[in-house]
Amino acid sequence: MPQVMVVARNFMDMVAALPAAKLDMLYDSAFICEAVLRSFPPLAKKYVIQMLYVSSPMPAAAMQEWVLDEYASKHKVAIDRLLQLRVFVEVRDRRKEVSYKMNNKFQANMQKYLVSGGCLPREPLPISVTGRLPTLVELENYALDQWECFLLQLINSSQVEKGTTFSSSMMKTFQRGLLSSRDGEAAKLSENGFQFLLMETNAQLWYIMREYISSAEERGVDPTDLISFLLELSFHTQGAAYSLSTLTEVQRVAIMDLMELGLVKLQQGRKDSWFIPTKLATNLSSSLSDSAASKEGIVVVETNFRLYAYSASKLHCEILRLFSRVEYQLPNLIVGAITKESLYGAFDNGITAEQIISFLQQNAHPRVIDKIPIVPENVTDQIRLWENDRNRVEMVLSHVYEDFPSKDMFEQCCDHARDNGYLLWEDAKKMRLIVNAEFHQEMREFLRRQR
Amino acid sequence: MTSAHSKLYSDDVSLVVVVVDTNPFFWAGAALPFADFLSHLIHFVNSLLLLSNLNHVVIIAAGVSSCAYVFDSGNAYAGGTADVAETLGKASRKMEEFIKQDARETASNGTVADGGAASLFSGALSLALCYIQRIFRSGTRHPQPRILCLQGSPDGPEQYVAVMNSIFSAQRSMVPIDTCIVGTQDSAFLQQASYITGGVYMKPQELSGLFQYLAAVFATDLHSRTFLRLPKTLGVDFRASCFCHKKTIDMGYVCSVCLSIFCKYHKKCSTCGSEFSRVSMPDLNSLPDQRQ
Repeated sequence: MPQVMVVARNFMDMVAALPAAKLDMLYDSAFICEAVLRSFPPLAKKYVIQMLYVSSPMPAAAMQEWVLDEYASKHKVAIDRLLQLRVFVEVRDRRKEVSYKMNNKFQANMQKYLVSGGCLPREPLPISVTGRLPTLVELENYALDQWECFLLQLINSSQVEKGTTFSSSMMKTFQRGLLSSRDGEAAKLSENGFQFLLMETNAQLWYIMREYISSAEERGVDPTDLISFLLELSFHTQGAAYSLSTLTEVQRVAIMDLMELGLVKLQQGRKDSWFIPTKLATNLSSSLSDSAASKEGIVVVETNFRLYAYSASKLHCEILRLFSRVEYQLPNLIVGAITKESLYGAFDNGITAEQIISFLQQNAHPRVIDKIPIVPENVTDQIRLWENDRNRVEMVLSHVYEDFPSKDMFEQCCDHARDNGYLLWEDAKKMRLIVNAEFHQEMREFLRRQR
Repeated sequence: MTSAHSKLYSDDVSLVVVVVDTNPFFWAGAALPFADFLSHLIHFVNSLLLLSNLNHVVIIAAGVSSCAYVFDSGNAYAGGTADVAETLGKASRKMEEFIKQDARETASNGTVADGGAASLFSGALSLALCYIQRIFRSGTRHPQPRILCLQGSPDGPEQYVAVMNSIFSAQRSMVPIDTCIVGTQDSAFLQQASYITGGVYMKPQELSGLFQYLAAVFATDLHSRTFLRLPKTLGVDFRASCFCHKKTIDMGYVCSVCLSIFCKYHKKCSTCGSEFSRVSMPDLNSLPDQRQ
């Protein structure tokens, strides 16, 4: 089965794909430099810190020396990444020796950071203007509600009580990769869509943001502006109020969309109106794998394949329905069972056993999270076994050879194919053999030589 | 141990506890003025915080007769990113206050006679380990901890037992102790600390470039350290201090029950109380190769 993975991790790839001039423009902002730096692999981060006060180009050969020989590949990955994002610039001297120099703007911004520490992109409004602001807990609930509502709308529009105000064309862009619709049929979740639902919130968020940014041009907005605004937004203080009047026109349009996604909360005062970044927004620039840390899990799996999810959310119910049979729902509890049929349904939709297991592990209830293993072993084993059941037949493109003139010839052919490891099947009586398609050319050559 | 490790953040998120020597007896005559040192340190702390928003830095000041927490980035960032410049300013003010307070305590103690006073590193290390344990036990996931000691003043032999105990408990909880010597002489205690816990021990040649040393070596997270060529210690001074007079010795008597070390023969172990019967052996003090 072809593996389709939704790529949501590499937002920075998008930044890297920008033309050089635009990228340099982005580095005018210290926040973007900071976000870019934090996205690097650890080794690359270390290089940046080490090179921060080095103004002359550093020979590549000398940098190679920093790393132990057996880890040269790690070094290469780090350097490639730095070059890709133009944080390091390649310089060649007269003798064609390669040296690396740090991007001037980037260097200057980071040096400033070290001296004065990070500062805020804009000043929050004083409490006298805003009055009582929502607490962090309220804000988080608001953000998650909003996000859940959006996801529900994304996957099936019928279940939503209060729709978001995204235009249908915008919604279509988001759904493009996730739903597949054949003519005359209602849209169905595609393989990508299922995998998307099992991802953690932050990864989902980035996926949506990528779609949002890449569709920006269709709306006549420069993607660079959006990227820089999003990264800047992630450095605002969560829960503080910022005046809308400090935003540019583009940003003001964008913030309306971001409100729908739960990244910011808008509030209207007597004179002024302001936005309050939520946790979703401030997590944008942090590394993706670490952000789910504070989310509390809900799922308890028992050794008898029963599954309890302490949640009232429809979205959770929908997600669980993807791979289990939901039996009943209490006000704060969803009870289901993992059955062979329900799993086969999931596998048909392109969800893999590993994804299901990792979903169950990541969302484990705090009461079971300390257990080893978190999900009972017999359940995980059985899920994997059921998946293997479906993969008993393996398709290999191959060729049949028959009508050999002599037994000798047939045997020679067999031996030749077997020696090379491409013989799939042989029938000595009828003198037929089947050989992997990759070996066909070689086999023909061989037969010609035999003649 | 597996359960503790599954709680770690991925890759390179680190908790760095920096133990800073604030011994006035040392800084009065140091090659690098304390103010310069402090600005190097603040640069370094900033660069650690820059690397990841989950990085956590704590500074502990070790004075002559007391030690205290001076800076905790966890408090400073209670609501996302806060004004770092201000908090660091606060930290250096707190540092000044601490030094004054420490000086008062030293004066009232009256224990320090001459200029060769040692800083209270045993106390500071214990504070650091306590802090790390607290982080281990709170929250769902925690960063990779490590300790960095910036020592200038000479070792205090009277702290030998306490320091060694801290080192072993650091080793047990797998916390490496890095050492950067900002003074003129090597520290036998911290050499052993770094050696035992797998940390880096370094004595920079050029103190005016302290930040570059800190950034190049000590800012490296534990994950990347496996890939890199880091400075290796040339030799480790494994000499122990005796329990009776707190002198550093090459050779001495060891209690066969509790492994306490003495420089002179005793009839009874002062630690565990076991009585020794004298066997005929040459007097250690008369051996020709003994150094003190």
